[in-house]
Amino acid sequence: MLKRAYDIAITFREYLVLSALLVVSVSLLTLGDSPQIRILRSLTIQSLGLLQDTFNFIPDYFSLRSENRSLRELNLRLSEEVNLLREAQLENIRLRQMLALRAKSAYPTVPARIVGKTLQLMRNTVTLDVGRDQGVRDQMPIVTGVGLVGKITATSSRYSIGQILLNRRMRVSAKIQRSRVDGIIEWEGGKNLALKNVAKTLDVQAGDVVVTSDYSSLYPEGIRIGTVVSAVQIPGSLFQRVELAPAVDFATLEEVFVVTHQADSSRVRLEREQGGF
Amino acid sequence: MRMGTIALNAVILMALVIAHTLLADLVALGGITPDLPLVAVVFIALRYGQIPGTLAGFGTGLAFDLLSSGDGVMGLSALAKTVAGFLAGYFYSETKAQQLLGGYEFVILVGATALVHNILYFVVLLQGTDIGWNLAILRYGIPSALYTAAAALIPMFIVSRRSSVA
Repeated sequence: MLKRAYDIAITFREYLVLSALLVVSVSLLTLGDSPQIRILRSLTIQSLGLLQDTFNFIPDYFSLRSENRSLRELNLRLSEEVNLLREAQLENIRLRQMLALRAKSAYPTVPARIVGKTLQLMRNTVTLDVGRDQGVRDQMPIVTGVGLVGKITATSSRYSIGQILLNRRMRVSAKIQRSRVDGIIEWEGGKNLALKNVAKTLDVQAGDVVVTSDYSSLYPEGIRIGTVVSAVQIPGSLFQRVELAPAVDFATLEEVFVVTHQADSSRVRLEREQGGF
Repeated sequence: MRMGTIALNAVILMALVIAHTLLADLVALGGITPDLPLVAVVFIALRYGQIPGTLAGFGTGLAFDLLSSGDGVMGLSALAKTVAGFLAGYFYSETKAQQLLGGYEFVILVGATALVHNILYFVVLLQGTDIGWNLAILRYGIPSALYTAAAALIPMFIVSRRSSVA
């Protein structure tokens, strides 16, 4: 009996190896984000981060990093101020009769350098040279002076991986700044982003600025995401197709900021349980 | 396969994965990059057989997943590259390995394997979304497979030249 089983195993060994590895792969897909995998990933990020940091001189043609860093930091603060003022102005117009308005607070940020970019079939990520030691945690937003870049998805002590807006898994709750129309930002490939779930009857025009929504459990309200380039009515659909150009130029991205804004974990958990994001 | 050969191939594969992660951005054309580790997986499958090809595919894919995951699709690259290595191994022939690796058949096989890999990848990746996987394959899968096949010309020429010198 054992001999027969052994003979069969030898005859079909290629298929047995394939089956075993497929089972492991599918198990990993199902397990998703277990603590063991997180530890393994954290170690990998740490090693890769060090390597990427070492080889980062390759695309670095101009040695103006420190100057760029401080300028971008200043730019971020000014842009935040402009965004906040714009938001405040629009709020004032709508709510001018009300006396008590909730004060908006700017969140603290950690400056970070992109030490690596991974372009892998619609799963684009960046490696940042900041990690848990600098206070960076999973799900924290990544921004630049001009707008939203993405969010942190994995961390090690000194490095972290961020999922950028140009990633199939990325979804951001957003709104049109002018008309307050809500939608969900997704990326379907290409240069532009899509604003989903916008009913045909709602007011969206080319040139409208899209910002993060106050409905988002991860991102602070009012961060610029992009500008609407087209809003097309689709025959037979309840929704319109809204495309926007991202505010951030991902091709030239070098320096970013991690907003140390921790999402309300109980809200995130509840929304995940209910199938939200 | 001897232990030394296994270790050498494993080191080459990991070096390619790291090189891909570090440098792919520099050779990206419109966001499309060649899948260099996949070229190596097909090479191993054609040079050493189906089981080494399958194992190489799994190891490479797992490394990719560890480097770029955190987005809930851990295991996807491992799955796609395992299948790719297995399929490429079908064309293994002990007597014709050198001839196959040094000819245009290698480039065609890399392109075909990359296409199957990308189809499988997108079908799983885009599950549960309203993004059509056929659109993703047209926009990314086919161009990436062609770019990967073009990258396979380099090892093909190296093997071809070595064979002619020998």
